[in-house]
Amino acid sequence: MSAADIELSNVHKSYYKDRLEIPVLHGLNLKIGPGDFVAMMGPSGSGKSTLLHLIGGLDSPSDGSIRVGDALLERMTERALTAWRSRHVGFIFQMYHLVPVLTAAQNVELPLLLFRMPASERRRRVETALSVVGLADRADHRPNQLSGGQEQRVAIARAIVTDPEVILADEPTGDLDARMSEEILNLLNLLNSEFGKTILMVTHDPRAASHARRIIHLDKGVLERTEENPVRQPMAGARAAS
Amino acid sequence: MTLSYVLMQNLRRNPLRSVLTTVAFALPMAVFVAAISLVVGLIQIGQSAAKELRLAVHHKTTITNSLPEGTRRKIEGLDPQGRRLRAVCGMRWFGGRVPNTQNTLTSLASDVDTFCEVHQDAGLTPDEEQAWLRERTACVVGRIPAEKHGWKVGDRVTLESTVPPYLSLEFRVIKIMTEASRANYFYFRRDYLVESMNQVGIEDSRCNIFWVKCRTPEDLRTLQRDIDAEFANTPDETKSEDENAFGANFVQALGDIPSLMQAMAVVVVIVVALVAANTMMMSVRERARELAVFKAIGFHSRRIFAIVIGESMMLALIGALLGVVPTAALLTMFPVRRLGFVPLASLEVSPIAVVGSIGIALLVGLLAGFWPAYQALRLRTVDALRYLA
Ligand SMILES: Nc1ncnc2c1ncn2[C@@H]1O[C@H](COP(=O)(O)OP(=O)(O)OP(=O)(O)O)[C@@H](O)[C@H]1O
Ligand SMILES: [Mg+2]
Repeated sequence: MSAADIELSNVHKSYYKDRLEIPVLHGLNLKIGPGDFVAMMGPSGSGKSTLLHLIGGLDSPSDGSIRVGDALLERMTERALTAWRSRHVGFIFQMYHLVPVLTAAQNVELPLLLFRMPASERRRRVETALSVVGLADRADHRPNQLSGGQEQRVAIARAIVTDPEVILADEPTGDLDARMSEEILNLLNLLNSEFGKTILMVTHDPRAASHARRIIHLDKGVLERTEENPVRQPMAGARAAS
Repeated sequence: MTLSYVLMQNLRRNPLRSVLTTVAFALPMAVFVAAISLVVGLIQIGQSAAKELRLAVHHKTTITNSLPEGTRRKIEGLDPQGRRLRAVCGMRWFGGRVPNTQNTLTSLASDVDTFCEVHQDAGLTPDEEQAWLRERTACVVGRIPAEKHGWKVGDRVTLESTVPPYLSLEFRVIKIMTEASRANYFYFRRDYLVESMNQVGIEDSRCNIFWVKCRTPEDLRTLQRDIDAEFANTPDETKSEDENAFGANFVQALGDIPSLMQAMAVVVVIVVALVAANTMMMSVRERARELAVFKAIGFHSRRIFAIVIGESMMLALIGALLGVVPTAALLTMFPVRRLGFVPLASLEVSPIAVVGSIGIALLVGLLAGFWPAYQALRLRTVDALRYLA
């Protein structure tokens, strides 16, 4: 599937609490090219998650426009956004939120329930997604039989099983130790370089950010600076193997 | 994998809670099936009793003593406007038997004009009624003698009387009665009998019994009293008996039982609904973020709503089946024939009870799931996701 680019122009977002306006994003402009891998850093409360939710169509901006590929999000109804999201965006969160009573394979299959698809095609897709994240042999395990890193890999498989162009990750390694984080970051790298996914990843960890091609810094609702990653770490094996 | 599979699996999240909620559904539903079956059974008895509100008026000494034909007029005279009684029908034993056989049939010569009205359980159709009124030799035969002698509608049959003057009469079958209570009887027209006796020089139009069809159980009681009072201290003293004393009284008593049951049922349904709603609310609250992730994956709010409602109804359905199936099976294997001192035609599982109980359970499941489902529908993905960890 062809990669999608992302473009935000003059995006404002305020929350209202008891009729009190809490401005979070102030006229934000951002371009992310197709197939790019961008890390977003910034202090807590700077609006990183808010921005991610706007790009994924989970929330709508107070002002400004957001385009993801061909989709102009601010023009779409909630219903249309939901349908669009199921095809074009994969979300990954800090907490994996797998359904505890379903197996890894069944968790990965969940998003496919939204599509008319023969069972064989479904099975093929689930198998592919699980093998991409290296868990083909754990398909029948339940979440409580998996490590945190494995759970996050199942969550990633769930995010990519519909083959979306864009992956939005909110602190995907926030809950993992260094070794497991490394596994997840290598996996994101693989999805970016081999499968051409456009990735936007929020992180607090500079080491995690160093896996991205580009790092943007958000502070108090504005983009403070953008840096090309000078020391992008070489992929730890996935690329060499292919 | 289907969505309903996911719903089923969700019930395993907290097995104890699911089991308890299921039991909360199962127990009342078990009682419901039995109770609704009972009410349905009682209503049926009551209806048949109400339909056949009949007094049997016979001679005070014994039923073999006869009463004058004019007794009918006198009984009718007690209620000329017909406010309490609908019809009176005189009958005379014939004591007939099929030639060359031993057993006598319960054969009765009946008044022509009121037979159909008083014996609605004979089940004559309008056409058959016409035939009864038209044909002097018409007879109406119960299923059992008809089968025994191979009689069909249209056949000519002969009975010989076993009492003086030992008449032999020929009849034409116009109806086979299938109703269980009439399956043994043989009815024919009394005018035919009276004329046939006249032909052999006997003048006797007396009857052994007068059936009095009443309008209400209350009328039945007052008429019973009034009729016996009317003939007291005459040569033809009468004794009036209620054909189905229990059945008739029951129609009245029935007035109160279902309303009490209804009140109890409503309370039970509300309690079960609260239990189920509580379960679903806790379940939704615990899973708020998981449901938010469902939305992030692309599940529309309405689909989330349906998932929660579906789960609630699944609980209800499983509970209802657990309650209804064993109860229905038990009642089928061991039908209750009497309830304390009250005899029942039969207390069997009524399909209405089974369908009704499961329907009630599903309705409760729907109601119980509604508010939690609405909460899930309104769940703001962004907020639910933000306050995680
Ligand atoms: N529903 C809401 N109502 C009011 N204020 C909100 C709401 N949601 C978010 N905010 C505020 O918006 C700001 C940005 O929140 P956001 O979650 O985007 O920050 P963040 O950069 O992701 O922080 P963190 O690194 O802690 O995850 C915060 O100050 C937060 O308090
Ligand atoms: Mg955040």
